[in-house]
Amino acid sequence: MDESLSSSCHKMTDETFILLRDFIYEQSGIYFGDNKKGQLEARLGLRLRANNLADYDKYYYLLKYDPNAARELRSLFDSVTTNETSFFRSPPQIQAFQDKVMPEVISRKEKQSEKQIRLWSAGCSTGEEPYTMGIVLRQVLNDKGTSWDVKIVASDISEKALRSAKAAVYSDYSLRSVPPEIKREFFLSEGNAYRIIEEVRNLVDLQYLNLNDTRRIQIMKGFDVIFCRNVLIYFDDEAKKRFVSQLYDCLNHGGYLFIGHSESLHNISRAFKLVHFPGALGYKKE
Amino acid sequence: MKDHVLDRIRNIDDLPTLPSVALEVLSLAHQSDVTIQSIAESIHRDPPLAAKVLRMANSVFYRRGDRKVDTLHHAIIFLGLAEIINITTSLSVFSALKSRKTQEVSVRESFWDHSVATGLIARHIDKKLGMRTMGREFVAGLLHDIGKIILDQYFHQEFMAAYNMSIEKDRPMYETEMEMCGTNHMEVGYFIAQKWNLPPYLADVVLWHHQPSQASSREMAALISMANLLAKAAQLSCGDRMSFVLADQEAWKVLKERGLPVDELDIERITFEMESIGDQVKSYISTVMEPSDKEQDNG
Repeated sequence: MDESLSSSCHKMTDETFILLRDFIYEQSGIYFGDNKKGQLEARLGLRLRANNLADYDKYYYLLKYDPNAARELRSLFDSVTTNETSFFRSPPQIQAFQDKVMPEVISRKEKQSEKQIRLWSAGCSTGEEPYTMGIVLRQVLNDKGTSWDVKIVASDISEKALRSAKAAVYSDYSLRSVPPEIKREFFLSEGNAYRIIEEVRNLVDLQYLNLNDTRRIQIMKGFDVIFCRNVLIYFDDEAKKRFVSQLYDCLNHGGYLFIGHSESLHNISRAFKLVHFPGALGYKKE
Repeated sequence: MKDHVLDRIRNIDDLPTLPSVALEVLSLAHQSDVTIQSIAESIHRDPPLAAKVLRMANSVFYRRGDRKVDTLHHAIIFLGLAEIINITTSLSVFSALKSRKTQEVSVRESFWDHSVATGLIARHIDKKLGMRTMGREFVAGLLHDIGKIILDQYFHQEFMAAYNMSIEKDRPMYETEMEMCGTNHMEVGYFIAQKWNLPPYLADVVLWHHQPSQASSREMAALISMANLLAKAAQLSCGDRMSFVLADQEAWKVLKERGLPVDELDIERITFEMESIGDQVKSYISTVMEPSDKEQDNG
């Protein structure tokens, strides 16, 4: 009986969806909108099977009341965070970065006769994010690009991911959201794969970095924009507060922090100004 | 020429009018001795409107529980007089302003999407803040931008120029409208609201939704002002797509001054919740607008 249940496709009721969604938001700051019910169902379905549970209600009770809840929570987080990454991921955020944030940063710097831009991709994985930042920056700076001193620090805790980022060769799938004209301008085709052009690759400085290493983070200074997307989920509340306050210190005045598209800093930090962009949120240090 | 757009609107003799029943219901609403019977009778005098009110009362937006409401009388008992007046007003305005001519490029679709989204978001925030505006916030959200529809209808070219300029230059619509039309959607909307004898709170919101501290119904204007911004953030905008800091807005300060717990709002969460509002917007619009509405207009 149990076997047939666990191998069948489980359905999540609306009530249970709301319980689980609120629980996950409370625990992780990641929000599953009404349109993401199917996604949550699919991902938690794996956890249901792993725990041999008959339905999502029982899974909710496990998370809420079981002595082993803390351990299950880790597995839950792993299953709700997609480890996949791609170029131009979460397009409204990239659009905000391109249309609003970079022009604002550049015009402020021009007024101060400063020509240096520092960006940081914290948790850069295999490099899609920092190279996306590089491509966008090239486009925003356009022909005046060469006169600016630009560096994108890209850090990760995985040596393997960093090696892959260094190779800078990507599959079609990684490039699925890249507009054709950008593909032509910024990538070299190599058989079935694409290599990012040198000009963009040279903007990116890959570094091994453990974001838990508070002393190392302390020396990261002077950034105009930090992308730290879908990373905070790996910290507990206290560590999250400490780390986010460090990120605040890493930013220049007028700088921005972007976290994951449906991640929230509510209850974590009030230091930033929450900025609404069309379809995206950013956190500004004034 | 552009300086006289508002004057010219004042002199247009075929401006849209509200159905007489809607005006009657609105004026009944102000009377102290209004009865369920008198409102029901009044709405019944316009059978298509009565049918639509019933349909709205049974839609997901208003329906409470499983019980189907099958007479207006019941609808008024279940939903209360205030909601019935709101529904009647919304439906009447929709039918008065529905698309008249098919223009090559039109903002109408995004206009209605934005208006309904603003109403729904206002309702959502109203609940979170415990403002108890009794459904008036939804109508106010729905109608705050009516001036845009009038500008689009009678000064299409100038209005489209203002619309495109606001997007390209990342500037507020009311500024680019002023440049292109010599007036803005708040002034034009206020003129229409008065002409239609809309309740003062609605006229107030129409005029002051960008400067809520000037309004007499300040709380309502501030609520709509905030909902208006959040609708834009949810990418349901009719015009500019500017970024903003909610806590720095006039609306925020007004609500805070009035003792409403804005600082306790989880704005991130509200923003995420509103991202999936598009489906609700579409469903509301399809409930209000029958396919026949569009066909009638071509005649």
